[in-house]
Amino acid sequence: MFCNGLRNLSEIGQKIASRGFHTTAVNDQLHLLSRLRVVDNSEIGKRAMAEGKPPKIFHVYNKTGVGTIGDKVMVAIKGEKKKGIIVGCKQTQQAMVPKFDSNNVVLIDDNGSPLGTRIHVPIPNLLRTILRKKTIAKGADYTKLLAIATKFV
Amino acid sequence: MSNLVLFQLRKSTVALSAISKLNKTHIEIQFNFKYLVGQLSQRLQSTSSQVVVRENTKREQKRVVPPNYRHIYPEFLPDPNMEFRNSVREKLERTDMINRRSRIEIPEFYVGSILAVTSSDEHAVGKTTKFVGICIKREFCGLRANFTLRNVVDNLGVEIKYEMYDPRLQRVQVLRLEKRLDSELLYLRDADPEFSTFPFDMDAEFLNEGAPVPVNPLKVNLRPPPWYARWERLQPKGAIIPELRGRRKEKSEKWLEKFSEPWEKYDLMKQYRKTIPEEEQDSIYSDIYSELHQMEIASKKLKRKKAFVKPKKTG
Amino acid sequence: MNSFSSIKTLLSCSSLRSSTFLQQVRHKKYPLQPKIQNPIWFAKKERATFDEQLTKENQAFVKEMVYAKYGPPAIIHGVETLDLSRSLLKQEPVVSGEWTPGIRRTGLIARKIGVYPMWMKDGKKVATTLLQVVDNYVIKYISPEEYQASRKAPRRYKNEGKWGCLVVGAECCDPQKFTKEYCGLFKDSGVAPTKILSRFLVSPEAAIQPGTSLSPLHFKVGDHIDVFGISKERGFQGVMKRWGFKGMPATHGVTKTHRRGGNIGQGGNKGRVFPGTKMPGWMGGRRRTLRGCQILRINTKFNVIFVKGQSVPGGQNSVVFLHDTLLPLKWRKTSPEAFPTYFPNLQEGDSLPVDIYHESVHNFSDPSIMYEDEEVKDAKK
Repeated sequence: MFCNGLRNLSEIGQKIASRGFHTTAVNDQLHLLSRLRVVDNSEIGKRAMAEGKPPKIFHVYNKTGVGTIGDKVMVAIKGEKKKGIIVGCKQTQQAMVPKFDSNNVVLIDDNGSPLGTRIHVPIPNLLRTILRKKTIAKGADYTKLLAIATKFV
Repeated sequence: MSNLVLFQLRKSTVALSAISKLNKTHIEIQFNFKYLVGQLSQRLQSTSSQVVVRENTKREQKRVVPPNYRHIYPEFLPDPNMEFRNSVREKLERTDMINRRSRIEIPEFYVGSILAVTSSDEHAVGKTTKFVGICIKREFCGLRANFTLRNVVDNLGVEIKYEMYDPRLQRVQVLRLEKRLDSELLYLRDADPEFSTFPFDMDAEFLNEGAPVPVNPLKVNLRPPPWYARWERLQPKGAIIPELRGRRKEKSEKWLEKFSEPWEKYDLMKQYRKTIPEEEQDSIYSDIYSELHQMEIASKKLKRKKAFVKPKKTG
Repeated sequence: MNSFSSIKTLLSCSSLRSSTFLQQVRHKKYPLQPKIQNPIWFAKKERATFDEQLTKENQAFVKEMVYAKYGPPAIIHGVETLDLSRSLLKQEPVVSGEWTPGIRRTGLIARKIGVYPMWMKDGKKVATTLLQVVDNYVIKYISPEEYQASRKAPRRYKNEGKWGCLVVGAECCDPQKFTKEYCGLFKDSGVAPTKILSRFLVSPEAAIQPGTSLSPLHFKVGDHIDVFGISKERGFQGVMKRWGFKGMPATHGVTKTHRRGGNIGQGGNKGRVFPGTKMPGWMGGRRRTLRGCQILRINTKFNVIFVKGQSVPGGQNSVVFLHDTLLPLKWRKTSPEAFPTYFPNLQEGDSLPVDIYHESVHNFSDPSIMYEDEEVKDAKK
């Protein structure tokens, strides 16, 4: 199933290339209107990825406005607004922090519990510490996301 | 000893004239260059005096550092930019690097080799993590030296940069020692995932001692653009670039015509500024040779021990 | 004074011609006071070099005499200098007082020799700047009264007679390179003329005997110091590079003002450019101070101080000056071990380790960092 998603992605890439305009975001940073890839098996996320309409960020919950690993974002997905947590970035990272080939997001609800039941891709170890810290600060429990992850790198 | 004269001359003609002036019965000549020895001895046979011509072996003895050290330990060479050179800092940096190497074995590896790195990670469950991947990049010199590993895990490309002298590294293991056609394999990001997929439980491959490092002539198929970089301009040797269409093709052709610099490889000054002279390299490596050599011997002994323990029962 | 005397002469001339006629003088009546006066130890340093037509034997003789006077050439702590151990003054140190809070010790002269990373014990990477303390010697001590009297600086520079001045030199070299007057400055201390001279304000209690050599162990690992030097010269720069202005848009009808500063003031009553307005100009090449850097490591073999941070002013191999920090939150609260400075003979300098690390820094010859599991940690508790 995941392979389908990937194939779709590359197809999207080809289509965009054939359209002849540049879609690469500057510095691979995650800011407003950046497209993300939903990596959990939530219904809405699966459908959005299958249709080739990936979610777009329209708010990053931090002070810089640039999203990195562990940041909460609000995304527009299939005409709805959903919250998500960035679980992997394309941007150049520091030493010992993994850099991924796509910008991955896991959709969550207001309490921080994920909409899906499984994450198909590896997520960084660093996320454990970040989410634990955020859980204390906000009152919402983000650590449920870690429980549905399959692999850490 | 009175009739023994030692020469260290470069040109045979000069030597001949000097000998004729001396008028000694027994003459011994030492040369720094091997090819001159035979030439001279033939010429001097006609003269009446007894002449022994031999090669100067002192120069040979001086050079103890193997010539491949600059490939095995490239990070010991400082940045050739004169703005950042300082002999004391370089010495200090080298001693620090050697000190770190005495604690962890950083083996010989190249871009294209497959490595397994075990590191301590405060965020991980057991406080250690292991990552396996192909080395796609090596950067910088001195204590800043780092390398990047790439692997495809669950169909998602993952890259991790490690600093070679980071004390968090616990073990660096070379699973497959080989070179590729390029000095950077960043095009693997735009290639099919099969070319950068390696299992985490991969076994180390054995390479005969003293055998040259094999070069893998593998050519990689690139996906159609968009790409990480404009590979049609950079033209890496190890990548098969798909044929471009339309405007992009025209543009790349024009660019290559306009900006290609075929004369660059003849620019000796540019090469000189980018590299460190051979004599300086020798002096740098001779400073640290004894330590590095001891470490190599120690690691070989360890490997032999391990190899001896390993055999399993059959049947 | 020039303009003042010219007025006088003009007056006298005019009085000769006629008492009623006075020529107009179109410049300032009084010359501006110089902002910083030359120090009392100031002398012309460089000598005009010319061919003295010395024979080779004479040249060798001069060299021999220099070595006989100051000491043979030697490489000390990785730097080519003269071995001054014979020529230095061997008097007893100046009677120094007790350390009390607020007392200023002397500083050191160093060279910035590079930046490289080190790791803390928790695995964090920090950039450290390497400052090599090249052979430093105390040249002269000037007491507060003397220093005060000699300095007729504007009021804002007055130090109320609190501090004296210690002249410190670094990098001894051949005296033939310098003028006679400059070499004369070093006569009393027995130090060979140095390339670099600097003064540090010190309390009279922290005065040091001229001829004493200063070592990096004047500071201790973990101390906070201020580093000042001349910043890198960038030339005449625009407002964006010099002051970090944003510039103006690239498009939207903007013409010819993409990297300009824009408005520099108001009209009306304030219709002038205020002093200190940020404008294009010469950038860098000025004295800048980095305050409160922590010392993480000291190498006693090459006399190198490793300072946390990478923004020490100046380029590679430039001269910087170090002293105890003046930041109120970081300044010294307890008595330093080396007061007024570090004396190797008194404190058994032979048994010193090559590297002295701060407790928070990972030593490169230590084993790899291992994090403890939380469960194990809890169990230990």
